[in-house]
Amino acid sequence: MSPYVTTILTLSLFIGTCLTIFSEHWFTAWMGLEINTLAIIPTTPKNPRATEAATKYFLTQSTASMVMMFAIIYNAWSTNQWTLMQLSDNWASIAMTLALAIKLGLAPFHFWVPEVTQGIPLLTGMILLTWQKLAPTAILFQIAPHLNMKILIMLAILSTLVGGWGGLNQTHLRKILAYSSIAHMGWMIIIVQINPTLTILSLTIYIMATLTMFLTLNLSNVTKIKSLGGLWNKSATTTIIILLTLLSLGGLPPLTGFMPKWLILQELINNNNIMTATLMALSALLNLFFYMRLIYASSLTMFPSTNNSKMQWYDNPTQITMLIPTTTVISSLLLPLTPLFITLS
Amino acid sequence: MLSININLIIAFTLALIGVLIYRSHLISTLLCLEGIILSLFILITLLITHFHIFSISITPLILLVFSACEAGVGLALLVKISTTHGNDYVQNLNLLQC
Repeated sequence: MSPYVTTILTLSLFIGTCLTIFSEHWFTAWMGLEINTLAIIPTTPKNPRATEAATKYFLTQSTASMVMMFAIIYNAWSTNQWTLMQLSDNWASIAMTLALAIKLGLAPFHFWVPEVTQGIPLLTGMILLTWQKLAPTAILFQIAPHLNMKILIMLAILSTLVGGWGGLNQTHLRKILAYSSIAHMGWMIIIVQINPTLTILSLTIYIMATLTMFLTLNLSNVTKIKSLGGLWNKSATTTIIILLTLLSLGGLPPLTGFMPKWLILQELINNNNIMTATLMALSALLNLFFYMRLIYASSLTMFPSTNNSKMQWYDNPTQITMLIPTTTVISSLLLPLTPLFITLS
Repeated sequence: MLSININLIIAFTLALIGVLIYRSHLISTLLCLEGIILSLFILITLLITHFHIFSISITPLILLVFSACEAGVGLALLVKISTTHGNDYVQNLNLLQC
């Protein structure tokens, strides 16, 4: 694609999210989300899988936008104001929650996430799973006092369970990362009414870790577990980075990914939601299982391959790997800074 | 809340169900999306005229602008699908399963 088109689309993506995050009027927030949806669709390539993925993405996101607009107008009818932080009408906040759940890919509206992430290239999928989550989460953060806790708990527990169980039978890495996204969004949603700062913290750490994963996978263009098995030959440090990042995503203690899970469980228990906290913690183990399978395939064992399978060979790296060490350090070593992140509320 | 609102909410709900449940063609989904947009447009216009808040009179127009862009993108995707598959049946969109 011509660099002018790419510039316009990237700018539109950036402007859309900024418009939604910085808006006070519901209409500009809706406009920002629409701009985001429209800007990412031309960035997909022209093969049939990508077209199908773009169609499914477009249909789900525009349905969510329309439900969101309905919630906004209903709220304007009953409360006569358009302020973003005051979505006082009950039905309007329920409809808005469901619309944002469709946009974020929470269960039971999660069916588009694996298929769309599978059909598009790795870098576009990265933008989809990280940047596109910022604007709806910002809206949820601002309307947090008016949300219905029952619906949030239902969405969150379903998302973590579906994200855990759905990723168990996958061999394509993009689908695994999609189910990981569904599960992590569940963790973010459960705490948004109790302590919204933890939602933003969890989103930030999730974005760092997912960025690392996608960029590392993009280096050698691996998209299946079978290709991961030959990665030790091409560049062994990539396998170490994948190990650290996946363990951090799974939430293991000395790494940064443990921090949001720990703080969220603590807040839930402080509010007497012990059953919820137990269910969330147990369903995180499902996620950890398929991360461990990826780690086994890439670095801990020699993955089985047939005699005449092609192996990736090491060569002089020509791609820019500038962002990967930064995001790896952020996503594995930041746990001692937890007191700093708590006081940022 | 006027009594016409019930009609419009029913119209919105029917169009929404039309988006969610469709039998074979993808274009019926896009048509029902346009139906949703129409009901939302009339809802906003009624809001403005009922409460006399003429300062936000531009809002239905902006809604129409963004919906037109969206409809254009939807149709472009429909054309691309028709190029590869020959028709717009939704059961053909199964390349990415499992």
